[in-house]
Amino acid sequence: MPLSTPRLTIDRRTALLAGAGLLGGGLALPARGQDGGAEAVYGPDDPQARRGGTLTVAIANEPPNLDPFHQAGDARTAITVLMYQGLMFEDASGVAKPLLAESMAVSDDGLTYTFTLRRGVRFHTGRTMTSADVKYSYDYVRNPANGSPGALDFGTIAEIGAPDDHTVVVRLSEPNASLPMTLTNRFGGVVPVDTFATPQARARLSQQSVGTGPFMLQEFRPQSHIRMARFPNYWRQGQPYLDGVLFSVQPNAASVLVALRSRRVDLALLARPQDAEQLQGQAGLNITSASSLRQCSLDLDGNHAQLKDPRVRQAIALAVDKDAVMQASISGKGKVLGTIPAAMQESWGAPISALPNQKPDMARAKALLAEAGLPDGFTMDLISIIGFEWMDPAGVTLAQQLAPLGIRLNIQRVELGVWLNAYRSRNMRFTFNDWGTQPDPHILYYRHFHSQPRGADFRNWNNAEGDRLLDAGMATADPARRKEIYVEFQKVVDASVPTVMLFSPDLVSVAQQRVRNYAQHPTGWWFGLAKAWIAA
Amino acid sequence: MIEALLRRLGAALVTLVLATGVVFLVIRAVPGDIIGEMLGQSAGDPASEAALRAFFGLDRPLVTQYLTWAGDVLRGDLGTSMRQGLPVLGIVLDAFLVTLEIGLATLLVSILVGVPLGLAAGVRPGGVADMMVEGFTLLGLSAPVFWTGMVLLILADSWLGWSPPLIYTPPSVSLADNLEGIALPVLALGFLQAAAYAQFTRQQSAALMRQDFVRAARARGLPARVVYGRHLLRNIAIPLVTYAGLILVQILGGVVVVETLFGIPGLGRTLLAAIQGRDYPVLQGALLLTVVVALLVNLVIDLTYALIDPRVRGA
Repeated sequence: MPLSTPRLTIDRRTALLAGAGLLGGGLALPARGQDGGAEAVYGPDDPQARRGGTLTVAIANEPPNLDPFHQAGDARTAITVLMYQGLMFEDASGVAKPLLAESMAVSDDGLTYTFTLRRGVRFHTGRTMTSADVKYSYDYVRNPANGSPGALDFGTIAEIGAPDDHTVVVRLSEPNASLPMTLTNRFGGVVPVDTFATPQARARLSQQSVGTGPFMLQEFRPQSHIRMARFPNYWRQGQPYLDGVLFSVQPNAASVLVALRSRRVDLALLARPQDAEQLQGQAGLNITSASSLRQCSLDLDGNHAQLKDPRVRQAIALAVDKDAVMQASISGKGKVLGTIPAAMQESWGAPISALPNQKPDMARAKALLAEAGLPDGFTMDLISIIGFEWMDPAGVTLAQQLAPLGIRLNIQRVELGVWLNAYRSRNMRFTFNDWGTQPDPHILYYRHFHSQPRGADFRNWNNAEGDRLLDAGMATADPARRKEIYVEFQKVVDASVPTVMLFSPDLVSVAQQRVRNYAQHPTGWWFGLAKAWIAA
Repeated sequence: MIEALLRRLGAALVTLVLATGVVFLVIRAVPGDIIGEMLGQSAGDPASEAALRAFFGLDRPLVTQYLTWAGDVLRGDLGTSMRQGLPVLGIVLDAFLVTLEIGLATLLVSILVGVPLGLAAGVRPGGVADMMVEGFTLLGLSAPVFWTGMVLLILADSWLGWSPPLIYTPPSVSLADNLEGIALPVLALGFLQAAAYAQFTRQQSAALMRQDFVRAARARGLPARVVYGRHLLRNIAIPLVTYAGLILVQILGGVVVVETLFGIPGLGRTLLAAIQGRDYPVLQGALLLTVVVALLVNLVIDLTYALIDPRVRGA
């Protein structure tokens, strides 16, 4: 069966209008219909849907736990989005829209957001959600003493009020246009008041879910499976269609393929998009491919002996043939990047033609290196992470591409925990990276590239112009102006090269034919199961 | 003999304390901690990181952390997993039972296949059977378990259109589902261990065949059944039992490969996940259990000698 690549249907006009509604002074964005417009995140309703059955999903990355507030990894979020919901959700075009909120209004100064809550929303515990629960949840996340990785994202919130059961007022210390996206599903899930009142509470979340999502946790058996059952009191009546979902943790990419071929699993996202070729011609499988929000990149440490010189970083950027790296790494099953992940290029990306350092130019690279006093090149380590298969061929390809500059790479393969430790302590050196984002430029860039203490600046970039643009982007409500600012920011990234974004691997999902109405969200999270069903 | 056993138990306890201390220090010397896994690339807020470190008690001096852990262990509490928040005792016992089942099943397969092959080869060194068994052992010992497992997986998929079930089912829930789940892992491990067992049995039996008492028995015209069954097998029983113990410990230690390959939630995979996630309590608990099991297996082997060899009973 040939790979089908559905066209990304991003209605920019709609997206921008919606964005203006979200962010514009004094405007309000209401939810649409009973679903609150949530078809954009969960997929469309299906009147023909057959209720019942358990859908089996193969996952290669197991979440360490299912705590929505203390675990940052994508493996956790991908699954907990079915159990926990935020006031807002991230739609595929990069706009935050109401989910547990019915509507949202923003004050003229952009400092006060008023949310009207959806009525009749029940938690898995049976209790009805009120504004007190929302206030409790977000106050918990933003308090650094609670150790949530979301605290930095919630940093501009000064105060949360709950004037009545159905209204939440969020006051900011400074304008933050990405607040609606912050209140989506990564750290913005709503849990009942006092969920974390006891030290044992975090452990309980791996045994029992307490959110408002369409599915509730039945069983989590580490290294084996996660079983969920339909939440009977879900606020969207008649949904989900499935009785349950079983996530089976698969030890490697090969076993996912075997399980798909033998029909032991109904659905899987391929960790290696090139594996889709092995399933071609297999009867009964539907394969879809789309652009992703993930980026495979090279990071350059501003404190590194040679890389601290921007001319050296530019020279490296100009010597890299991204397409060749992508061919070697994932057989070309992705999109070559400029300065933003593929699924955000159309909405927020600077045109690659406007970024002079994003295409190979060996003559210029050599000139820059000579100008930097390194005409004969130098030797340095390239850090690669064990378990990230694409990095091995990419490393070899990169070593070949940098050799004409006289840059000799010693490829060092390190374990993920060791790599994360170096990363957190801002000792990145010259390393591969692999990370994803929610579809918002502030969330994508700010933590990574803004100088400390407002950002984390993992790459020791410390770029004043970058900081200025990131602050301006955060404070700007008008979507068109906001895009201009982020395009400017990308030009600074392109010129100064703290990172070389190589490619976004395609998001390839494979489903048995009996799986119906499943829509794959560009985050790679499993939202679509809320409206999927199984044909007889 | 009791005195000897007590001495061994004492030595085992010292080993246990030393092993836990070493494990405790070594895992903490490795860069990275649970906070890194929790925060990933969402790190960058020192206050949040400090709060998490305090929550897990990682801000206390190492000696305090070790003594607290050891004190809890003496009270039967192995602590709480940093990743899952569940009691470590439950996590490692559940995982250990899975591994033990695979280990025992592998041992059974190894003995049932390896001993007869080794005997057949050993009684006539240089014969046809010996050469065939040598080929078997060479292949079994040189093929990495990972490779064998992959080959089995691919053959089962492409020839039979069958793959192992997605989820491990305990035998108490469904024996059929359980056997279906452990068949390939046991075959992959069993191939290696049966080869090792066959080689060992062959060496032992070939050496015995040259002994005077065997030659005398054969010269007296005793039937082969009596010569091999009573004289030969009885005399190689002790080394075979010793070897079984060694193999079991080896299987328990090396099962991580098949558990990872086939997605079996056993002790090896639990250990690996604990190392990757820097889940210190689970790692310490799992290793503690492994050391205890190794010591117990050795103790049981010593006791088994006494049952097999009357001379040991009086020692």
